[in-house]
Amino acid sequence: MKRRLFIFLLFLIPVFNSCKENSESKQLTQSTPLAEEIADGKLPYKRLSTYAFFEGEIKDLQPNQSIIPYEPASSLFTDYALKSRFISVPEGQKVRLENGELNFPTGTVLIKNFYYSSDLNKPEVDKRIIETRLLINTEEGWEAFPYIWNEEQTDALLKVVGGEKEVKFFDLEGEEQVINYLIPNKNQCKTCHNKSEDLAPIGVKVKHLNNEKEFESGRKNQLEFWQERGILEGFSRKDNYPALVNYQDESQALSERAMAYLDINCSHCHQEEGPASTSGLFLEFDQKDPMKLGVMKTPVAAGNGAGTFDFDILPGKANKSILTYRMNSTEVGIAMPELGRTTVHKEGVKLIREWINAMNE
Amino acid sequence: MKTSIIYLFIFSFLFTSACNSRSNEQTFDSSKLPRASEEKIEKLVEDFIMVEDGGTITIEPLFYDLKTQLILDNKKNVKIQGAGMEESVLSFRNLKSGGEGVKIVGENILIEDFSIEDAPGDGIKSQHTDGITFRKLNVTWTNGDKSKNGTYAIYPVQCKNVVIDGCIASHSKDAGIYVGQSENIIVKNSLAFGNVAGIEIENCDNAEVYDNMARDNAGGILVFNLPGLPKSDGHGTKIYNNAVIDNNHENFATPLGDGPNGNTVTMIPPGSGIILLAAKEVEIFNNQILRNKTTGVAIASYQITGFPAEAPNWSPYSHDIYVHDNSYERTLKLPDLTRELGQLISVYNAHGKAKTQDIIYDGIWDKEISESIESNPMKICIQEKGIEKMHFTRFYLMDGEDKIESFKDYKHFQGCNVNVSTDVSSLTSLLPL
Repeated sequence: MKRRLFIFLLFLIPVFNSCKENSESKQLTQSTPLAEEIADGKLPYKRLSTYAFFEGEIKDLQPNQSIIPYEPASSLFTDYALKSRFISVPEGQKVRLENGELNFPTGTVLIKNFYYSSDLNKPEVDKRIIETRLLINTEEGWEAFPYIWNEEQTDALLKVVGGEKEVKFFDLEGEEQVINYLIPNKNQCKTCHNKSEDLAPIGVKVKHLNNEKEFESGRKNQLEFWQERGILEGFSRKDNYPALVNYQDESQALSERAMAYLDINCSHCHQEEGPASTSGLFLEFDQKDPMKLGVMKTPVAAGNGAGTFDFDILPGKANKSILTYRMNSTEVGIAMPELGRTTVHKEGVKLIREWINAMNE
Repeated sequence: MKTSIIYLFIFSFLFTSACNSRSNEQTFDSSKLPRASEEKIEKLVEDFIMVEDGGTITIEPLFYDLKTQLILDNKKNVKIQGAGMEESVLSFRNLKSGGEGVKIVGENILIEDFSIEDAPGDGIKSQHTDGITFRKLNVTWTNGDKSKNGTYAIYPVQCKNVVIDGCIASHSKDAGIYVGQSENIIVKNSLAFGNVAGIEIENCDNAEVYDNMARDNAGGILVFNLPGLPKSDGHGTKIYNNAVIDNNHENFATPLGDGPNGNTVTMIPPGSGIILLAAKEVEIFNNQILRNKTTGVAIASYQITGFPAEAPNWSPYSHDIYVHDNSYERTLKLPDLTRELGQLISVYNAHGKAKTQDIIYDGIWDKEISESIESNPMKICIQEKGIEKMHFTRFYLMDGEDKIESFKDYKHFQGCNVNVSTDVSSLTSLLPL
């Protein structure tokens, strides 16, 4: 029977061959003169400088006493942009840690600056800040506000429609890179910052901050430091809470590193309360169900994103897995995450490939 | 055997129409429209961000060349109003990032009278929205090479109370009109052509699909339930008064030369009218199911895909299916051979090689219900007038590829009773804002 089918097909080839009748700005932000702004408490301000978060020259991003730096254990990849992050909690108020979640008082501001150095191996030399994103916890919940820096690096202006900037730098391997850095429009922020359709922070969670960071006063667990500075209550012992590893730390187990990477880069969407819940692919660090993690799971609405492959993860076969295929693409419609990168994160792809290849077939 | 090959050989050459067709048809030419200035484009992006509850976003009669997404976020009672499908066009050809051109989240949203072109991912997506109406919306792709087209044209997912009315969806690489993981759905008066799948209802409850035209797709109308999704299984779909015609377009869900991948849509054999896959409680009646070269109706279980067929709260079987009072027309076109299901039908059907079928049933049943299929354990009911002259095939596939059998006998599937109940009457009142 099979042979007959084969012959049958063979004879039809010429028929099918006869069918093939058909075949196939950049926007520079100029510093526009804008009237001085008074810090009247009506947020958002048009100028970043109005918030007065920083001392001295604003471009040095030197925090004043009221804001505290933080850094998640693993960082979300954004086209190799360097980031400096701060939290501002209204005076006299505290973040409360309850049931493992951080609850922020109204008026809390998360400040995230995205910048490049001309050589990524020297992150503090020749810095150019592209954008600063503020997440402000308003009466109605979190809201995102993108500020775009001017060329003179003297201020940044609120621009809800986002924008695009050409950025040049030498990467970690010394190769020159030119990228079109995309600043998301205000509502695009929520593509990632989304929990049950409410805007939500990504990196400012216990699991990402329950680790040590270098402060001016010395090395300390970040949440302990917050508590000491009087902006957090409810944190008891670090061992009582989950802590993700830094995926770059090669002394850690491969699976821990991979799960930390997927958590910070993917799980804001790929979780039950995230926008990508439609896919049934859930990538939190503690996901234990192989199918939800993508193992032998067929895609649902992946379109071009599926490439020529059947499964999100085919154990032992990274080059036949949709997960790495999408991470390794820059094509809109294929590339994952959908926002926040126009380049491939080579180190991230390598890590996830190693992890999939190490799975038992 | 030899004679049959020669017969086929001659047959193939006589009827070059055996080819899968391919269409780049456009309903109008948007390149002639005046183009929106940078300021107007920026204003529209801003309007989507700044609109307040109860507000209206107006899309002028212009061609908008957008580089960023239009996202409406958590708003109520908002109307997005164009000046007409052929007047207001949003082009996402130059979109730099984002999964879809337009994204809607909110409550009671009406979107009408414009076109969306060339979004790299999906055309327009709505998620977590209660009350969403797409009216007189045209979503398409204008690429010559259709393998570059986007996934879904009109894509409500995880929504409640969805109305798609008078829309046109064409040339999408997956489904033109795709309603996923939603409940209470009407798709009516719409046209889907040149897509891989015309209209698809997937993991949904309570849907009615009527008065539509699905033509020149690879598959016309689909009701699927896929495993492993938050909305784990769907029930209750009525498909009636539709024209499901000439769905003989090639399946371009994967590039020419590539086989199917894990996306189920890549397996659809060109020439399929209506396909049910792991579908539950579906009634198909009063449709014109004409000139679909492989099969008019296919009733299949998920096992036929060859993928793992287990998931919580989900069944791989199609059951409680009622097909009645449809009209069928077969042509002399050869059934598909590019997809496994097409090959199965072409080679193994019960009426002779290379014969188009009107209705096929894969005959995969749950042995825990009955040892034999003769008791119709999955409740597949077929009451078509003139069925004795139709090409009906029931396969036997449960012992693997080496023992494929087929049967013409339709009697086991007659005289049964399946009650499919849907109720979308509350939806019509939701329409005017």
